Parts: sequence; C-alpha cells; structure tokens
Amino acid sequence: MSQASKCGKKEKTIWSRREFLMQSGGGIAGIALASLLARDGVFAIEPGLGGAQCSTSFPGAFQPKSPHFAPRATNVISLFMSGGVSQVDTFDYKPALTKYAGQSMEDLLGAKFAVRQGMPGPLMPSPFKFQQHGASGMQVSELFPHLARHVDEMAFIKSLYGTSNDHIQATYEMQTGQIRMGFPSVGCWITYGLGSESSSLPAFVVMNDHRGGPLGGPNDWGSGFMPASYQGTLFRSSGDPIVDLESPSGMSAQQQRARLETLARLNQMDMEKYPGNSELAARISSYELAYRMQGCAPEAIDLSSETDATKKLYGLDNAVTEPFGKQCLMARRLVERGVRFVQLFMGGVGVQNTDTWDAHADLVENHRLHAAESDLPIAGLLTDLKARGLLDSTLIVWHGEFGRMPISQRGVGRDHNPGTQTAWMAGAGIQGGQVIGSSDEFGYKALEQPVSAHDLHATILHLLGLDHEKLTYRYSGRDYRLSDIEGKPIPQIIA
Amino acid sequence: MWRTPSGSKRVTLVAILAAAGLQSLPAQAQNSDSFTNDIRPIMERTCWNCHSAQVKSSGLDLSSREGALAGGSRGPAIVPGRAEDSRLYRQLAGLEGPAMPLGVPLTAAEIESVRNWINDGAHWDAGPTTVIAGDQFSAFATDVPASARQYWAFQLPQQKPLPDVAAFEHPIDKFLQQTREAKGLTAAPPADRLTLLRRAFLDLTGLPPTPEETQQFVDDTAPGAWERLIDRLLASPHYGERWGRHWLDVARYADSDGYEQDVDRANAWRYRDYVVDSFNHDKPHNQFIIEQIAGDELDETTHETRIATGFLRAGPRVNFREKDNPERRYEYLDDVIATVGRGVLGMTVHCARCHDHKFDPILQKDYYALATSLFGYVETLYPMLPEDQAATYLSATADIDARKAVLQNQIREIEEPYHQVLKLERIEQEFPAEVLQAVRTPQDQRSSGQKLLADQVLSIGVPREQLDAALSELDVTRRQVLLDGIKQLEQQRPPQPPMIEIVTDGDYRYTPDRAGDEVLGCPECRIKPDKPGSFLHEGSQPYTVPPSNFLIRGDPFSPGPEMAPAFLTVATYGNPPIEIRRANGRTSGRRLALAQWLTSNQNPLTARVWVNRLWHHHFGVGIVATLDNFGRVGDQPTHPELLDWLAVEFQQQGWSTKQMHRLIMTSAAYQMASAYDDENNLAKDLENHLLWRYRPQRLEAEAVRDVIMATSGGIDLSSGGEPIFPYIPQEILNTAQAYGRWDNQVDGPEVWRRSLYVYRRRTLSFPFFETFDLPDQNITTASRNTSTVAPQALTLLNNPFVLGQAELFARRVQERAPYDIAQQVDLAYRTALTRPPSAAEAEIGRQLVESGSLADLTHVIFNLSEFLYRR
Repeated sequence: MSQASKCGKKEKTIWSRREFLMQSGGGIAGIALASLLARDGVFAIEPGLGGAQCSTSFPGAFQPKSPHFAPRATNVISLFMSGGVSQVDTFDYKPALTKYAGQSMEDLLGAKFAVRQGMPGPLMPSPFKFQQHGASGMQVSELFPHLARHVDEMAFIKSLYGTSNDHIQATYEMQTGQIRMGFPSVGCWITYGLGSESSSLPAFVVMNDHRGGPLGGPNDWGSGFMPASYQGTLFRSSGDPIVDLESPSGMSAQQQRARLETLARLNQMDMEKYPGNSELAARISSYELAYRMQGCAPEAIDLSSETDATKKLYGLDNAVTEPFGKQCLMARRLVERGVRFVQLFMGGVGVQNTDTWDAHADLVENHRLHAAESDLPIAGLLTDLKARGLLDSTLIVWHGEFGRMPISQRGVGRDHNPGTQTAWMAGAGIQGGQVIGSSDEFGYKALEQPVSAHDLHATILHLLGLDHEKLTYRYSGRDYRLSDIEGKPIPQIIA
Repeated sequence: MWRTPSGSKRVTLVAILAAAGLQSLPAQAQNSDSFTNDIRPIMERTCWNCHSAQVKSSGLDLSSREGALAGGSRGPAIVPGRAEDSRLYRQLAGLEGPAMPLGVPLTAAEIESVRNWINDGAHWDAGPTTVIAGDQFSAFATDVPASARQYWAFQLPQQKPLPDVAAFEHPIDKFLQQTREAKGLTAAPPADRLTLLRRAFLDLTGLPPTPEETQQFVDDTAPGAWERLIDRLLASPHYGERWGRHWLDVARYADSDGYEQDVDRANAWRYRDYVVDSFNHDKPHNQFIIEQIAGDELDETTHETRIATGFLRAGPRVNFREKDNPERRYEYLDDVIATVGRGVLGMTVHCARCHDHKFDPILQKDYYALATSLFGYVETLYPMLPEDQAATYLSATADIDARKAVLQNQIREIEEPYHQVLKLERIEQEFPAEVLQAVRTPQDQRSSGQKLLADQVLSIGVPREQLDAALSELDVTRRQVLLDGIKQLEQQRPPQPPMIEIVTDGDYRYTPDRAGDEVLGCPECRIKPDKPGSFLHEGSQPYTVPPSNFLIRGDPFSPGPEMAPAFLTVATYGNPPIEIRRANGRTSGRRLALAQWLTSNQNPLTARVWVNRLWHHHFGVGIVATLDNFGRVGDQPTHPELLDWLAVEFQQQGWSTKQMHRLIMTSAAYQMASAYDDENNLAKDLENHLLWRYRPQRLEAEAVRDVIMATSGGIDLSSGGEPIFPYIPQEILNTAQAYGRWDNQVDGPEVWRRSLYVYRRRTLSFPFFETFDLPDQNITTASRNTSTVAPQALTLLNNPFVLGQAELFARRVQERAPYDIAQQVDLAYRTALTRPPSAAEAEIGRQLVESGSLADLTHVIFNLSEFLYRR
C-alpha cells in the first residue's frame, strides 16, 4: 500500500473506489447491485416494519471490520454521569471523613490545594449510610439500593483520575483522552476500528438526558480530526429519533416514493456517464440506507412491544425513573440491533447544580435525586442483559468527568475533584466483585494503581478486541492513538 | 530517517558543592548510611542533573534536605515520614505525573528504598553533591545536521527549464504532460463550454451562473472569452467570500471562545471580513501573512492591520480563570504555533513541543525559539477610532472607571453593616448546625476546620431586594447621592466605539482580572511576577518581553534555559533579523521579524505551501496531497518541479493570488473533461494522481447551502457584517450546553445570506454544515473530508429549509414558464445545472411534474449527484 493511502487519502474520501467495490461485492457487480436495488424495490420497505428487514445485509453501510484479536465484547453501553459523582458518597467508603470531620485537610496533609469554586472547607463525612453488599462485601451507600444487589457483577475502579477540574475539559478528557477540543471520542474510535454491525442503524448512537445535553455539548461525541461520519448520531428519546428522519407532514408516502424513484433513475443515468466513479454509486446507496433508517430507526426505539414486566424492570412505571429507564431500555434494544456503541448521558444542562450531578450547593438533595433517577434503571439494564444472554458480549462502563472533594463546600456541598473518582465496569466477562486501585485515606487522590483516561480507553479497546497501540489514525504527520503514549489496559479487567 | 546525534554535543558540567545548610540539621541522621549507600547513587544518577542548586529545573533543588523540603514550583518534594504524600516518591513510583526520572525509570527495589528512606525521616549525609548537568538538555544542545537541508522542502525552490513537450503551450501542461507521457497516460479532451462555465463559477465564487450569466458566456464567441470570464469572476465580491472561507479554515476561525462558557466573540466577524476583503483586493499573500502575525508592529498600523492580528487569537480559549491556570498560556501558544506551522509552513512544528520532532529536522529548541518570537503577545480590545482619539478614549474610560470605583466603595461602606446582619440571618436559616457553630465561635477560638467553614460561608451574598428593604431612610438618601454621582459619571463616559479584538505585545503576568477571575481558591497558584509591571506597555522605556523558557518535556512547570527568539533552523537561510526594533518602543518587533522570515523569498516553505493550497482547491488534491505536512511523513509531491516552478512564479508575480488563479485556470489541465473514461489510464492510474482527467469535487458544506439558495433565487448576496443565526430546532439547541450564543432566527429571506456569514459557535456546529463534513473549527484544517453518508440524504430529503427552497425554486420557474411543463423542466435544469435536460431527462421530469407537482422535480434536482458536484 502506498504511503498516500496510509496517510490520509483513505480518510479524505471514505468511499474510495476500491473500497466501495470491495464492500459491495466486487467489481462492476457492486454497482450493478446498487442499481438493481434502486430499480427493484429497496424503496418498498415500509416504514415501521423493522425486524428482519432491518437486519438484512446491505452494501451501503459501514461494513464490519475485523478486530485485532478475539474480542471479549462486541458492544458497549457507556453511562456518563455528567456533572461529577461524589465517590465518597457512593462507592468509596471513607471512615476517616467521620474521624476527622470538621478538620482542615490542608493541615492534615501539609499541602495547599485549589478548589474550583471559592475557598476550601473542612473535611465532611458522607451524609449517606454505607453498608456491605454481596458475596464480595462491597461497601455501597444507601443511594444505590438496586445497584448494590449487582456488586458481584461489577468491577470497581477507585482510582480513576483526570487532569482538569473544569467540567468541559474534564469531560473531553474522559471522552477523548485530551482536555483540548478537537479530538475524536471513544465511540468514534471504536466505529473507526470496528465498523458497523448494523446495516440500518448508525454504529455509534448518543442519547442525552431528558433535560438536555451534557456539559461540553456535541464535542463530547464528536469526531475531532476524523471524518465527521464517525461521530455519534444523536437519538432523541421521543418523537423522531433522528433529526430530519421523517418527511414533514404534508408529504404523502406516495409523493415521497415518487421523488425517490425519480431521483434513483436520474442518478443512475448520471452515474453511467462517469464510469469508475465510486462516489456516485456510494451516493445512490446512501439514499437507500437513508430510506432503511426511516423504517428501522423508529422501530429500534419503539418500546410498545416490550412487556409490562420489562418496562417495570427499568422503572418505566414511575415518573422519577421513567426518563432514564427509557434510555436504558432503548440502549438494550439498540445493542440487540447491532449498534456498536451506545452513549447515554445522565444529567444535562438546564440548571447545572440541580440538573446534573454537580452538587456544589446541596449534596443530599442533588445526589438523592440523580441516584433515584438512575439506580433502578441501570440495575434493570444489568438484569435484563443478563437474562437475555447479552451481558457477556456487552460492556457497561459507568463514570463521570471527575469525582468530588472530601471537603465540604459551605457545609452543604462538595466541589470538583479530578484527583480520583470511582468508575465501574460490568459485562464483557469481567470478573465482578473486585476493586481496582484505591484512593487515599480521605478519597482526595488516587493512591494505589492510579488509572488515567488513557488507561480506561485502552481497556475498553482491548475488551473489544482492539490493540490500543495498533489502532492509530494518521493526522497531521502523527499516528494518533486513543490511549495516547501512556495508556495501558487495566490488567485485572482484561484478565 | 533523520535523528538526533546522541550525545554529540552534550554539555558536561561538573561542579563540586558543599551541600548548603547541612550544619543546621540536628545530629547527623541515624540512618544516613541508607542515604549514602542507597539514595545518593540514585540521586546522583537520576535527579541531580536537573534538580541541583545550579540548574534547579522547575525551581527544585534536590541537592540538600532544605531544597527538597522547600520544593519547587509544584510544592515540597518530601514530607519526612510520609512517602505516600511525598511528591518525590509519588513521581518516581508513577503515582503522579509527570513520571520521573526522565528516561529509564527506577527499578522497583530502588523505588522501595526511596520509600523507606522517606518514611524513616529522609535524612541526608554531609557528602558533596556531584552535579552533572546535561542529560535532559541533550535535546537543547543538539543541532540540525547539514544533511537535513538536502530534503526537497528545505531547499529553496528553483525554476527548472520547461519540459520539452510539444503537445501543450502552457507551462503547467508541459510539466503535467511530461509525467503523463512517462506513464503512458493520455490527457482527457476539453470539457464542453457549459461544464467549464459552471466549474469556473463554483470554483471562484461558490455560486452557480444565473441563466443570464450563462447566456452572456454562450454569446461571447470571440477569442479570449474564457480569460474574460475568469477576470469577471475574480472581480466579483463573491470571489473573496469563497476563497476567504478557504483561509478561514486554516485560521480555525469561529465566532465564540469555546469550552465551558463559549463566550461570544462579538467582533470576530471583523477579522472574517478582513480576510474576505484581502482576497477581493488581491492583497499580496506575503503582506497578508505579515499583517496577521504582526499587524500591530508595522510602520503604518491601521485598524485593518490590527484586525488582522485576530488570526493569532482565532483559536479556542477558555477565557476565564486564566490566572489560576498559567499553563493555558502555553496551550494557546501551541495553538498559534500549530496553526502557523501547519497552515503557513506546511510543517508539524507542534510535534516538537515535548521532544525533537520524530521525523523531521525540527528541534524542540526550534519550537521554543518560535514560542519566544511570539511570547510577548497578549490579547486585548482596541477602539476603532483614529489613533489619537483611541488614546483619549482609553484614558477617559480608565479615568471614569477609577472615579466610579471610589463611589462604589463608598456605597459598599454604607451597605456593609446591613449586609453583615442580613448575611448572618441567611446563614441561620439556610445552613446546618456545624456551620452555624463555626460562624458563632469567636474568630480567634475557631479550629482550623471551623475557620475554613466560616470563611466559606461568610463570603455569601444576600439578595439585592433584601438589602434595599433593610436600608434606613438616611442611608437610602446617602446612597442615592452616590448613585447620582455614578450616573453623572456614566453620562460623561464617551460612547463606546466598536472594539476590535487584537493581539499586541504586553506582559501576560499582569492581565487584568476579568469576570470569573476574582473567585480564587489558591492565591499561591497564581503567576507571581518578579517585579511590578503593566499588562500593556506603559512609560517611556522601550518594551521588554517577559522571560520565555525552554520547557523540559513541554511541561510548563519544568522550565529549562531562557530562550532567544529564532525560527526553524533547517529552513532559515542567511541571518534574518530575529527582532525588528520599533521606533515607538511599544512592541518588541519579534513577531514582525518572524513574519518577515515567513514571507521572505529565502523561506523555502511558505510560497510552496500556498501555491499548493491554491492547486488543491482548483483540482481537488494538492501536488502535495497533505497540504499541512511537507515533511517526511507527509505525501511527497506528484510533480515536484511543477510545484517549484509555481512557487517561484508566485514570488516573481509579487505573491499575487489572483495571478495564480489566472495561470492555473488557463491551463488545458484545468479545462479537461471529468467525464472521460480510458481503460488504459484507469489501469495505470486508477486514482488519477497524475491528472489525466479533471477530478469531480463535491461541494463543501457552505457551498451546498449557497447553491441551493442561489438556484431557488432566494439568496441574499449582501456582503459582510454581523453574523446570522439560521433556524436550529430547539431539540438540537438543547443538546448544546447552556452557555453560548445562538439568536435563533426563523427561516426566511433574512437568513438566506451566504453560509460564510452563519455564526460559528465552537460548541455547536450548524447541523446542516456538520452533515456535509464541516471540519472541526478548533484546529487548523488541512483539507476537508468528503463523506457520502445517509444523514446527507436525510437532510436533502427531509430538512424543512431544503424543502422550502425547493418550493421557492418551483414558484420561480412557474412564474417564468406558467403554462408549459416541458418549458418548466427545461428552465429548472438550465437554472440548477447550467445545461438543458437530455430527451430522456426531459421525459422523466415531465412525468414527475404531471403526476405530482413542479416542487417534486425541483426537490429531486436538489438531490441529484450532479447538483452537488463541481465537475
């Protein structure tokens, strides 16, 4: 392969001629197939049918690519807790906070430190009760009674640290590995590395909190320097899942079909004038895929066929748990339909202090609310995936952009703390009930086995069968890696 | 591959020191053996090279216990008795970044020794410290080997004699044909005139020809019609809008700051207009570069040249709490170096931030020399007034602000007693018991924890209404007098002229507080200047640049030696000045020197990089395909001699961009057909690297929208000014963060302006553009991606804007051809595609209109592949 095709040509036009022909079955046959589809009824798929029609193979989508080695999981559901969850109030039990309650951490540590807002306060014990759970005896606070029943399936990383105490940069770091803007997100790298399993749905789907997008906005699932087609596709949880998916009211199905059929004929005639131009064939295919998405995407998130028992499992019968429960259930449906990477955000902008986990002003109220909203749905997701035999092939990752300070903010809240947070992973055959790393006595900084965003990302790639050192993207004269130059998979997770 | 010759010029400095201050230690360490036997060898080998009394990298001296306890810029290195809390141990053990030492890490046993030694109290012995400085500075000491300059991109371009090719007259064609002949390729015949007309319009203006403009060209059958067309298009104001947009990609231009607050840059559009005007006036490219790098340092400085410096600050900025995060300045410098490096020099200079470049002969030292050339820069606002009035305005404003501050202080004094009382009431009501207890405890009796809590809580405010209601009548009156005084002052305030966002020299350490800066948790984290000074230059002494250092491994907290300005060693011919002193003494003249080096005819890169970009936009792929990387891992030129010939021609033609358009577009290569099939050619050069036919190119995001509006007739072609905010559905706005500006406008003629004028918000791309491969607006763009994906189809099929434009287009056709469907189909094709329909197309079109409506056809046309390509 020439230097050019290694260094950017391929990225420049996703559909290079050669690639298209290979993907569509080779040679002229590929183009013939595309034209055949155009003539003989691709557009005959009825919207809303879904099922088998949505899973038949189709030459227009990103084709699946082989991983570097046998994967542990084929799909990922990433649960991002926007705003920053307090580790010392959830999964990282710190009796020292009670012992030293009201004392100055600066004095105890003999070190000065900065907080994000205003001045540092004294150490504050957790207002929540902790209790041991499961065979592993994991300490979990009263905030997560439902997840507590799953601790033996979850591996806790108590030393995930970052480098910024600003929400946006910290979110970029956890999503892209870099605190700066302009880098591709994890889902994007995975789409780049593994292609799509689904012929009718995007490989990388993002669903926001019902209150709005996360801090950082669309850059959180952006493609940075990679082609925009790798970026996450935002699905809405009500109405049409994708913007511009449906033709506007006022246009009949018949009228739309007349337009599409005429378009297909004219584009076909045009393509014959440019033999060997793969982009024109790809463009025809893209309309066919668009048409399939119109039929298949609404079906993928339509929950009406789910049983009452399933709905209850996700908390759809309760106003508090319903919004995130719907997202979790939709995530399961998307994974079942071959979506590679589902990114859910819990917490979204509106009023930052109450609509995200950003508990500066009232830790008790804030964390009680968000835990209540997400605890049962996530537990339901774990139960459901397991019952359907999907948990072994699906990786669940849970974390936020940073943890929170063990010291108080005015006696009622906690400020940002990139020094450590607790993340957990489940599924993908990961040994549950284990703890990786630790934070210091107060939960202020990662102490044993600190895990960086790069390490976390290297781990995720590894579980999907991708060698984080081999998955590179040439940009601006450098082979970029998601795990950058320092990341290493967490040995206990990939063991 | 070029490599640093290791150790060739290593500085070896041996100094024998008596460890200072040891005498003051209590009795010699009971376990000093451990130091002598275990720790000293480690320190000698790995620490003292950089952290000695002499070198003191990051301000840290590890040659004595005092030095280790005092620590460096990151704080104490050692907490005796507590290894886990000691930075020295944490960094050696990899618990905290950056991992130390540089190079080979310590063994587990060595790390364990350090741990035990610190836990035992970190005792020192009295032996001398041997300092060998140099290891990590080997990067600093290296030079570029002479052979590195042999690489083509660092050689000055030269015009070789034109190839002896009879088939073509045009110099460009002679070069291209020579390569084609060598490969046995045949050139495509010329495209037909209508195809060429559309190609030239879309290429130079980003707009299709109107039916009238088409007719004008068809009627011009005299020789020279093509040249006249090119001149006409180059004279159009829409030329600058099109080609200015290409440059704005390089300049990573946007209308907001990015990051969390994504603050609106209310005047950024003036830089956008500056770029457009510069292209329209065919400003010589060298002057264009000079103005953008040093427009404030020119002999004749105007608003235009000041606005041009907006280039340096066009990247993303956090723009608050900068003082708590001094490392951000280095991020911004890196943004500028990456942009100038990739955008102007075609070199990935930024790769040398932390180490010498891995592939190209660019030293880390070069990086910090360039950084030093830029280092004086600060970002500020400047009133758009004549120079003397600007000075008057600035001093008048400062005076009013100062007097107002006095009155505001007096108001605060009146309000403060009330505030104190109300605050305590609020605390009583809202805060838990331990907080109340802390506040109630007399100040001198508070525990350190209570003190923290009380300080935090006592800093809260009370609602303004509460305060107003509590004030006594007398105090209301007293306050009113002061408020009236402020009002009077405000009346004297000169009206604010438009403020432009510029860069000039100053001292970043004195940057005034902005909103958000005053909230500060860690005063000692702030940049501490070593002497008093001012943000912008003041007084009669000439300006001096704040010190700029080499950063070890690129770490702002690990400064190495102080640097002098310089440029890329390998690309510097002769001895260009590194500083051009300014008569007014207000700036250093370093950026001006940098700009002159960049645009000198003795610079081997800049002219090549620009003509290559022009070539890329005309032909779809550059002679060097990696526009921003002429280095060893970039693509090599397909036609190196042509590239050099063009670069020299460009310099000789006074760096005129329009002359280059004329030159390129009059070649036969530019006028070749794209619909040309040749089995032999396809077999030999499938990807058309050697340009045997014209490359069809999908329109860029902005052009797709512009061409739709131009075709419908709805487009508003007015130029320049404030940005527009075309409608974005609320559910998409909801996905973005709360901060940031989007003044959503309903879809209609007011927002049917060219896409160049759509507001660029860093945290929310305009969805239509994003679907059609808008590049990331936060980094300089090499070339845009072209994807062909289903969401593009969905947008063109279902987006309400597109459907509305299709309706508008149908009405426009209907008005001109009210009765005859065949005529309507014909007119729609001519308007949208610059050609009549074929018989088959006419029939298909007629059937569609007859069974449905004209809008069915106009909508289909917007979705045709042909409509979306320049062919």
